[in-house]
Amino acid sequence: MHDLIQRLTSLPWDQAPQWLFLIPALFMLLGAAGAVMLRNLIHCALCLTLSFIALGVLFIALGAEFVGFVQLLVYVGAVTMLILFAILLTPAGEVAASNNPFRSFQLSRALSAVGGAMIALLVLGTLLASIFFSPHARAAVTPVTAATAPAAAIGENLLNHTLLPLQGTAVLLTAALIGAALLAKEEKQS
Amino acid sequence: MNFLENLPLATKKFILDLVEWVCGWFCSKLGIQLPGWVMPALLTLVSILIVIVALIAVFMVMFALMSVFERKILARMQNRYGPNRVGFFRWRLCGLFQPVADGIKMLTKEDIVPRGADKIVHFLAPIVMVAPALILPVILPYGRGMVPIELSSGILFFFALGAGTELAVFMAGWSSNNKYSVMGAMRAIAQMISYELPLVMSAVVVALVAGTLSPNGIVEAQGGLSFGFLPNWFVFTPWGFVACLLFYIGALAESNRSPFDLPEGESELVAGHLTEYSGFKYAIFFMAEYVGMFAINGLLVTLFLGGYQAPFAFLDFIPSWCWFFGKLAFLAFTMVWVRATMPRFRIDQMMQFAWKLMLPMSFAALISAATWYYTGRGLLGWALSILIVGVPYLILGYFCFTRRHTADNRRYLFSE
Repeated sequence: MHDLIQRLTSLPWDQAPQWLFLIPALFMLLGAAGAVMLRNLIHCALCLTLSFIALGVLFIALGAEFVGFVQLLVYVGAVTMLILFAILLTPAGEVAASNNPFRSFQLSRALSAVGGAMIALLVLGTLLASIFFSPHARAAVTPVTAATAPAAAIGENLLNHTLLPLQGTAVLLTAALIGAALLAKEEKQS
Repeated sequence: MNFLENLPLATKKFILDLVEWVCGWFCSKLGIQLPGWVMPALLTLVSILIVIVALIAVFMVMFALMSVFERKILARMQNRYGPNRVGFFRWRLCGLFQPVADGIKMLTKEDIVPRGADKIVHFLAPIVMVAPALILPVILPYGRGMVPIELSSGILFFFALGAGTELAVFMAGWSSNNKYSVMGAMRAIAQMISYELPLVMSAVVVALVAGTLSPNGIVEAQGGLSFGFLPNWFVFTPWGFVACLLFYIGALAESNRSPFDLPEGESELVAGHLTEYSGFKYAIFFMAEYVGMFAINGLLVTLFLGGYQAPFAFLDFIPSWCWFFGKLAFLAFTMVWVRATMPRFRIDQMMQFAWKLMLPMSFAALISAATWYYTGRGLLGWALSILIVGVPYLILGYFCFTRRHTADNRRYLFSE
């Protein structure tokens, strides 16, 4: 008993917080894998939601409170609902047909693998480039806290320096919503 | 009276001191030399546990009392007795032990899962529903210096977690594999999304004037009197009054209470997304709904009704946390009152109300609050902000609610 307590307390517990990020990261990877691999579309969407939630938790754990809350609010509250409604509004038969555009099973598989790999590489490359070429990459790393990233500073940045991209995104989202409504509305006149 | 004011914090400090003393005594008895970081870590853990246990206990007791008082008040308003039988052995106590009997009944009921249901999602839905509802109350300031977790963007945290409810309702409805469940869930989600906009907008109004997103900061911004007799609570300003009403209606809709109980409309949809739930899972949904209702009413108290502050200085002898819970109880009573008096909305009326009246009015309140921010609490500010809120209200009221509305002829999609 005595020995056990001594041994337990001599472990490097003070470094534990650095490793805690593994828990949300694990959930995020699980969710992402589920979203790709499950067969039922609703299950995929729910797994994607798990991934979104874990990402929000990761932001909060890293000290970016505001961004984490906004991630939860926007992705879990709005984007997930949009995805779920889109799945339910789109007739299931169309989805099955659109999943397999080619007659030949082998060909479709190969083509989709190549296409998927290319998209993944493109996204990864863009991310890496934007990380390495940003001016923040060379700056000294300062830990993000509520004091260094207050909501007010983020709001000022959004509405002063990046107003145009913000508005552009808003227009894009509206267009996507209208498109979804059109997709759902199209049916045979009886 | 200072003693009552400090009672919760003093109790917490007493428990922490007790834990520290007991641990020190044990270690000296066993002859163990603990490293320096163990004791502060242990005390942090214990203080977190105290807050969690206290919050859950308080909200569970409030839920139990609410469930019996709601039935008693409804019965009183409908000229009948309500539950008055269940007591403690031979003492009836006006049926006060009804929640205990309800709890035992719910616990012992069979838990039925439909054969065609999606078992995992069906099981997860109540958990996804109840977890955010129990976390929501941590950001509310219950009294002077009594904020369980002080967050600089607490209001945002509240709405971010509230988004989990929609997900849970969808999961419950879809996984039940029942058309009434799916229809109820769809109605509930449509309603929540529609009413979340005015709800968040009216919270934004307060954040704009108070200049902060922290609940404690917002309560502190409402101290003092203007004109010598009017408390500086935000509800006593033109824009604040409008935003408060909008927030209250939005809160009714978000917690699916009458007159916004279409998702569970018994006469149309059995019980909406709850149809296929029984036993304790049903009780958990019920509990999450009530705790969510208390939490959103607590946010209303914080945003508009001055939080834990007494209206006048001579009433300060009543402890601050009593003021908070008193205001909360009053709001809960009004919600029962509304339930007893208002008939249920039709779905097109509900949508029309949200998008054609509440959303424009919340924008008007925002502009009015911005004007107030720049003109100050003088007579000019009052006149301008009343004008900015009043004119849109009259115009909208004339166009939306003077003509009789009937539902359009609808072409039903995918009905054949």
